[in-house]
Amino acid sequence: MDKIAAPARVRCVRCRAELYRSNAASIDTAIALAATALVLFILANMYPLVSLNANGTTRAATLLGAALGLYRQGYATIAVLVAFTTVLVPLIQILTFLYVLVALRGGRRAPGLNELFRALTALRPWAMVEVFMLGALVALVKLAAMADIVPRIALISYGLLMLTLAALAGATPSEQLWQWVERSRA
Amino acid sequence: MAVGRTEPRVSTYVTGRSLGLLVCTNCRATVRAIGAERSSCPRCNARLHARKPRSIATTSALVLSAAVLYIPANVLPVMHTHTLFSDADDTIMSGVISLAQSGSWPLAVLVFFASIVVPLLKLVALGEILFAVARKSVRHPRQRSRLLRIVEFVGRWSMLDVFAVSLLVTLVQVQSLASIQVRLGALAFAAVVVLTILAAQSFDERLLWDTQTHG
Repeated sequence: MDKIAAPARVRCVRCRAELYRSNAASIDTAIALAATALVLFILANMYPLVSLNANGTTRAATLLGAALGLYRQGYATIAVLVAFTTVLVPLIQILTFLYVLVALRGGRRAPGLNELFRALTALRPWAMVEVFMLGALVALVKLAAMADIVPRIALISYGLLMLTLAALAGATPSEQLWQWVERSRA
Repeated sequence: MAVGRTEPRVSTYVTGRSLGLLVCTNCRATVRAIGAERSSCPRCNARLHARKPRSIATTSALVLSAAVLYIPANVLPVMHTHTLFSDADDTIMSGVISLAQSGSWPLAVLVFFASIVVPLLKLVALGEILFAVARKSVRHPRQRSRLLRIVEFVGRWSMLDVFAVSLLVTLVQVQSLASIQVRLGALAFAAVVVLTILAAQSFDERLLWDTQTHG
């Protein structure tokens, strides 16, 4: 990597895809972001996202509750897909980053590191926190016409989780992760 | 083996393959290809391949399945709204229209793009790219590479409608007064999104360039 330290970004001369981007983030930054993400993730799952007041009754939906709502109506496949992309994948990402990066910072290769990094690469397209936020916005706008909608603490936490995960992804491109691994071995 | 010949519009490059090098598809380490197939990456231990195995067949199968499901995804209702005064089915398109009628123009345009234009664009783009590789087209590889990257980037956003439906059906269950139910169209739609994401992933972008190096 020393030879291309100067430019901020290197592109393939043939297809113009980005090959390398200089990354100022340290392993400490990545760990801090993952820890922040874990706290926000817990908040986002513990409390209701939104509540709806209509005719004197109140209904609230949590993140997993949204998947459960689909399951109760007999659409288990979509329920699993929603739970997977909005809850499970982000959780796996956060825990894997914490486990692997904390070990690397101490100069150790965590057991199962190869498999975990491979899983992280494979899971990247399946984390859909930001897509869910926009979907929630669409649902709320549709409901606002007919009922009283109150955004709750988990929606804000989930929004912040979205930003934190984006920063974490930016701080940990695949090449960077492997650079940290190689440094720890040396 | 010939070194990649310079084209007028492309600056000089050498392909790793012509030098007997492979790039690990998992960790992107550059590896000297000794035993060729069936070796694994010395850095991350993933299986090494010069090209993703059976890339064209896998991608074609996924694109075709998605194309078939695109029809029920758009024709069948994705949800059913029951109130004291009315019962109505909503397709993806009627959902967009009702958003526009309620005055949320920006959101209506957004959902229209994410749910209708993007899946169609993905199917057409992937189909065109597969066709180009099948007939060994040597033209426009850079444009096609770019198109593939756009498809990979925007694909996930189509899930927006599925998430919106999941929240609607969970929140709106006010006994007999008003309720919203999921319908089969949502399943077909979710399947289209998943299949096209898998299709974009299984395609090996370098296939677009393999016709160039021997030119």
